[in-house]
This record gives sequence, C-alpha cells and structure tokens, in this order.
Amino acid sequence: MSEGLVLALPSKGRLMEQTHDLFAAAGLVLRKVGNARGYRGEIEGMPTVEVAYVSAAEVAWYLKTGRAHLGITGEDLIQEQITNWADRVDFLKKLGFGHADVVVAVPKSWIDVATMADLDEIALDFHRAHGRWFRVATKYVNIARRFFAQRGLTDYRIVESLGATEGTPAAGTADFIVDITTTGETLKANGLKILDDGLILKSEANLVASGTATWTPKAREAENEIMARLGA
Amino acid sequence: MAAETARKFEALEAQAQKLMAVFIKAGYEAVAPSMIQPAALFLDVIGESLRARTYVFVDPDGDELCLRPDLTVPTCRLHLERHPKADAKAKYCYNGPAFRFQPEGSGKAHPREFRQAGLESFGVPDREKAEAEVVSVVLNALKAAGLKEWKLRIGDLGLFRALLEAAKMPECWRQRLMHQFWRPDAFRTELERLTKGAANIPRDVPKDLIAELDLEHPELAERSVLRYLEAKGIELIGARSLAEITANLVSIATDARTEPLSAATAQLIESYIGVTAPARAAGARLKDLTRDKAIDISVALDAYHRRLQLMTDMGVDVVHADFSAEFGRTLEYYTGFVFEVVAPGLGTLSPVAGGGRYDSLMRQCGAPGDVPAVGAAIHTERLLASITGATP
Repeated sequence: MSEGLVLALPSKGRLMEQTHDLFAAAGLVLRKVGNARGYRGEIEGMPTVEVAYVSAAEVAWYLKTGRAHLGITGEDLIQEQITNWADRVDFLKKLGFGHADVVVAVPKSWIDVATMADLDEIALDFHRAHGRWFRVATKYVNIARRFFAQRGLTDYRIVESLGATEGTPAAGTADFIVDITTTGETLKANGLKILDDGLILKSEANLVASGTATWTPKAREAENEIMARLGA
Repeated sequence: MAAETARKFEALEAQAQKLMAVFIKAGYEAVAPSMIQPAALFLDVIGESLRARTYVFVDPDGDELCLRPDLTVPTCRLHLERHPKADAKAKYCYNGPAFRFQPEGSGKAHPREFRQAGLESFGVPDREKAEAEVVSVVLNALKAAGLKEWKLRIGDLGLFRALLEAAKMPECWRQRLMHQFWRPDAFRTELERLTKGAANIPRDVPKDLIAELDLEHPELAERSVLRYLEAKGIELIGARSLAEITANLVSIATDARTEPLSAATAQLIESYIGVTAPARAAGARLKDLTRDKAIDISVALDAYHRRLQLMTDMGVDVVHADFSAEFGRTLEYYTGFVFEVVAPGLGTLSPVAGGGRYDSLMRQCGAPGDVPAVGAAIHTERLLASITGATP
C-alpha cells in the first residue's frame, strides 16, 4: 500500500457530497472503509489508491507535507496554508463547485473609501485619531497580508478571526475584514461593502497534486487513471 | 538552521571579536539586548508585513513575542530603559543572532538564523559627523576582519524631503508623496494624480455630496454627510466617526478645487528620483537639476557635501562610492542618509553591511520625541563567506 497513491478528500459537508458526485459521475465509486464515519476509504477497482478523509483545511496540510499525492480542496485554503504554494503543489483541474470569493470589505458608511488606495490614504489619519492602526479581522491571515503587501498597504494589524468575521466591524473588534463570500448578501446584512479592487481570489474546489510526496511508478499510474476519468 | 561545523562557529566567533574590537575602540559600548522581544512594538514600527518574515509566538501568559528580526529596535529599547526620555547621548555596539523567516529555497545568503554585528549612535546633534563616523567605523571593522575589496553605495532621503519642501504644493500633498516614496508604483500614480488635477481623476465617491460640502464649516459639512447617509439608509458602524469621514471628504473636495501640481515640478521630482552617479558628481547633478527651477535645496546639498568631506577626512574612499536617489526606498524606517557595502561574490541583493539614519524610530519605541539616531549592521556570515571565498 505504501507504494500506491494517497488521495485526500474532504470528510464532511457540501464539499464532500459534491466530491462524491463528481467521482461517481466519472465512474469512480468511493467507499469508506470500516464504519461509515471512518477516516479511510478506497476507490472500487483501484487497489493502489488509499483515500484519506480529512477536513478541507487538513487536505492542504496533507499536500504540503507530502502525506497525500492528490487532494481536493479550495484554492483559498491552499494559498492560505502553504507559503510558497506555487512551488509546492500543482493545480490539476478546477472542479466547478465550492465557489467562494476572498474579498476586502469595509463598512458601507465609509463613503469616502472605494479602493485599496483610498484605504491607504486614510490609514495615517485613522492612527492619529485612534492611537492605533486599522484592525483587520480575517481567518485568511497569509492571503490578506500578501495582498496588502502587493497593494502597498502596510499600516494595519491583523486580528485572527475564527468565525462570524463579518460581524466584527459592527461589534467594534475590527475596522474592516478579509473574508469569503458567495453572493455578498451576508456582507450587506452586516453593513459592509466590497472594495472596487478588493477581490483577492476567486476560489473554487480544485484537484491538486503534491510536489513533495514520493511519487512511485504505481502512484503515477493511479494518478493518470484518476485524471483520465475526471477528464483533467 | 543548517548544521554548523565547530570550525565555522569558531571562525565566526574570531571574526566577531575583530569587529567588536574596532567598535569598542571607537567608543561604542558593547551591549547584549534580549533575543526575545515584545511583538507589538515591532508590528507598530515595521507593520504587519513583519509577521511574514519574523518568528512571532504566544507565550503561556498569552503575550505575543518574537525572536528579534534585527538588533536596532532592541538596542533602542535598551537605551530607553536606561534613559526613559532618551535625552542622553550614547553609542552602543553588539554582536548576536537575529532571526528571519525565509521561504524554502531562498538560498544560503539568506539563512533564517544569522549573526549581526553592529553599532548605533543616539543623540548626536551633528548629524553628518555621526553618519560619517558610522560609515568609517564599519569600513574599518570590515578591513580588520580581512575584507579587501568592496563597493560603497549611498543615498539620502533628506535631499528628497528638501526637494518636496522647496516645491510649491499644499503640505498634505508633500506628506502623501513622502508616505508613498517607499512604494514606487503608488508614488508614480499619486504624482500623476496630483499633476492631472484631482478633479480630472474619476474617483468612486458620491459626487453630488462632494460638490455640496461646505469646506469652511466642518459642522455644516458633517450635517450634509449625515443627511446623505440617512437618505441612503446607511448605518454608521465601527470606530471611524462621522467627523473623520467628513474630514476626509472635505480633503478630497479641497484637492479637487486646488490648482494641479505643475508639470515642471512633477518632472523635477521624477528626474531627481532617476539620479544615479558617483557620489561626488551626484551633488553637482542635483544642483544643476534645481538651479533654473527656482527651487532651493542648498541646505540639504551642503549637508550632503559636508558628509562626503567628513567621510574623506575619516579615511573613507568616497571617490569610488555610488549615489542613488532611489536607494533607501525599500527600508521604511530610515529618515535620511542611507548606505550599503557590497562585497565581491555576493551581489547587490546580499550586502555585507548596511545602515543609515532613523530619527523617528526612538519616538516609535516610546521616547517623547524624535531623537537623532544613526546605525549600521554587518551580516557576519556573508562577511566570512566573502573573505574566505566560500559560499555563505
């Protein structure tokens, strides 16, 4: 088994269901091994493939460390968790589900701020008025920092947020946020608007290959088969 | 960190002793600031980007700490511990490890754990003299360690500030250009914006509101903004107040009604930024640039020439030094003179030593005001590699 291929798949939620549908449509039947809540699985008729069911966030970690050869997870999680992702993983195929935009959103009442440049312009005045830099709430700490660095915004502090990020500006724990959104409705309901140039990443579920895993001939063979079936 | 042989360790130790001997002889007191530092201070001084290249961690008490990414801020803190008002003159030197996160594969010239030997001079009012001294002491130390060839590069943010101050424009534009100096793209955009006239640049702000704002009476302007928000059903949330939002809208409106920056001034600023020349010739070039534009930067230019002369008097070969107006553009905490020493075999991206003036750093660390401060650090692994001809 250690010669074969490890495929890391999300273990719960919509992402898991849609992954199962995708594989089923491609004629790949996934089966969990042991009890139905088990962490391991297999693909019918492919004995060299071992499926590891883990959380979507852990899929990225499996790929980064080479514990899995292939995995399915959101591009947002890959970019967040792997510092030099471009060197360490390959995106093989966009899968057409799990869509989410990572965006910068500020209070709607900031009618004087529409772009990242506007944000930079008020940073100093904000510091003068409040004795501190902007606080930005996000669970995408690395993505946010990289994006702000590219846009030349340096005067802010990140507040790590693990849930209900969109409520932090109204609650006063942050001044604006970097978060995922699908329709923008949740943001609107919380009195926030997306900056004109605040789209950081259009993310969706991807089939991703690890550059750090040990690729045996058997693992390659299994990869080719899976990719052929999925049309990647 | 890559495993280190005892031989390399001893070589670095022996080299550090030579460097420190030169510093101490020049009157710099040897100090050993803490390796573990409060993260918040570094985050305020350097910004959130620090986290991307520093080892930040939380201790069992929940306090956020970091492994020092350099020794300058720790030395400022040490000075403030001794002199809370930062009102004493002091000269310090140090040798010890600093830590920076490096992405995989960034090469041996950029280790994540490296030793810095350096010096800092605080509170010396004669700025050019203190700067010339730091350069000459660093070069003497490099020589004492065995470095035979190098290239000195210098820059001077004081000249840029003088140029902006002499050029005709509102004070807030100066502040904005100074603020953007460290971001070449944003700087160019800002310059273009000011030249075209803010009124001619589309900006996604409520135009009707901007047009009706009373620029003379803040309270009336504030009322207009409030009416606008209510009409649109926008709730005011977060820490930023109505007064702050209004003040910014007023400044946008004022910009739109101000005469644009003259093309000649914008051109002059761009020409200045483009100047690279041997250190002595650069002064003359800058004088030529400003002479017929009725812009007087002679005080800053005199300081520039005086510094070169003092460096020469102290034995620094300035004839082969290069000046670049843009140099210093990546290091936001510098406020004036900057320099870098490049050694053979290492390339300009891996200077063996560098430093400059940072008069506002002490205030950011907690002093009541700005304090004249100039310092420099030597990357000792690179120095050893350059001297022994090995890879670092």
